[in-house]
Amino acid sequence: MEHAIYARWLDIGTRIGAALLVASFAIYVFGWLEPHVSHADLMQLWTLPADHYVAATGAPTGWAWLQHLHKGDYLNFLGVAVFTTITIVCYARIVPALPRLHAALALIQIAVLLAAALS
Amino acid sequence: MEWWLWPIALFAITFAMGIVAVLAGVGGGVLFVPIVSAFFPFHLDFVRAAGLLIALTSALSAAPSLLANGLASLRLAMPLALIGSVTSVIGALLGLALPTGIVQIALGLTILGIALIMWRAGRTEHPAVPHPDALGAALGMHGVYHDPALARDVSWRVHRTPAAFFAFAGIGVLAGMFGLGAGWANVPALNLLMGVPLKLAVGTSGFILSVVDTSAAWIYLNRGAVLPMIVVPSLIGVMLGAKVGARLLRVVSSSVIRQVVLAVLLVAGSRALLKGLGI
Repeated sequence: MEHAIYARWLDIGTRIGAALLVASFAIYVFGWLEPHVSHADLMQLWTLPADHYVAATGAPTGWAWLQHLHKGDYLNFLGVAVFTTITIVCYARIVPALPRLHAALALIQIAVLLAAALS
Repeated sequence: MEWWLWPIALFAITFAMGIVAVLAGVGGGVLFVPIVSAFFPFHLDFVRAAGLLIALTSALSAAPSLLANGLASLRLAMPLALIGSVTSVIGALLGLALPTGIVQIALGLTILGIALIMWRAGRTEHPAVPHPDALGAALGMHGVYHDPALARDVSWRVHRTPAAFFAFAGIGVLAGMFGLGAGWANVPALNLLMGVPLKLAVGTSGFILSVVDTSAAWIYLNRGAVLPMIVVPSLIGVMLGAKVGARLLRVVSSSVIRQVVLAVLLVAGSRALLKGLGI
């Protein structure tokens, strides 16, 4: 039973994530929303290591991208975040259907993923 | 070069990668990182993050049908994914902390190692497991799945579970550090080490990947290593290419494609190694 529940929720999540990603990328690439880093500047900056890129552009780290959703490039993070969150949601959803040992494993897994998300 | 040519070039090359990856039976991530880091100007941090997200979304997209059809086992995957997801965070943090040259050398060696594994590793459709181990039994790592090709139910159980825990810990580090995906290692570990039937090993490997890569992806996302201009066209390219590849499966010889992939991995791995050594 837990397989069917997990599969159904994951299917819905991946469809939402894919739709968000395609729509937000169209908005970004066609310039309908001003990006944080312009398309032209990006070409000079993507050769830098990630930490140098962040320092050079003032790019948000952690969850600060949520405050930049009005910018074309960071709008794409919504779709990415759906893909990186859906596993946590699916695990949480199947916990009640699992035997005690596997429910405990699922809860530990959720804790690990949340710790990574909040790191 | 105009900026808009880069996403188009990425889409074109990843579309081809998606086709080849399906025909060769490898994940898109394992081709993406070596090829794009070797031939595009992007820093390795952004390429690894994109590779990880490609592997993640591919695994997530495939998992619902694998789970629904009983070709992936949650009870087999859960303990292994838990270990891999912890160590993939360590791998991602290490990859972002180490000097680029060292990561590049390690990447080159890893890619050459993957080529060796692909060349040498055998596969067993239904491995014999005469003595299941106590840990695997306690974790409920056994069951029955329906094999449509055989038109019958196949029962399975596992052995060498403690050794598999160590294997998946190592696989997690590599997955997080290089963003290569890990199907190339998951399947042999499940099939040859634990004795899981091949079809179930392939399906469960995808599920494990979806969990392991999730934790590492958060590390890259939170450290500012995700650039949508690299990630999105690549992701769409690999996914569309995989759909075309799946249609071509019937008419193209997968063993020839596999040889081509091996050759590409050897070239890209050597290039990464030489780049890291400053040669």
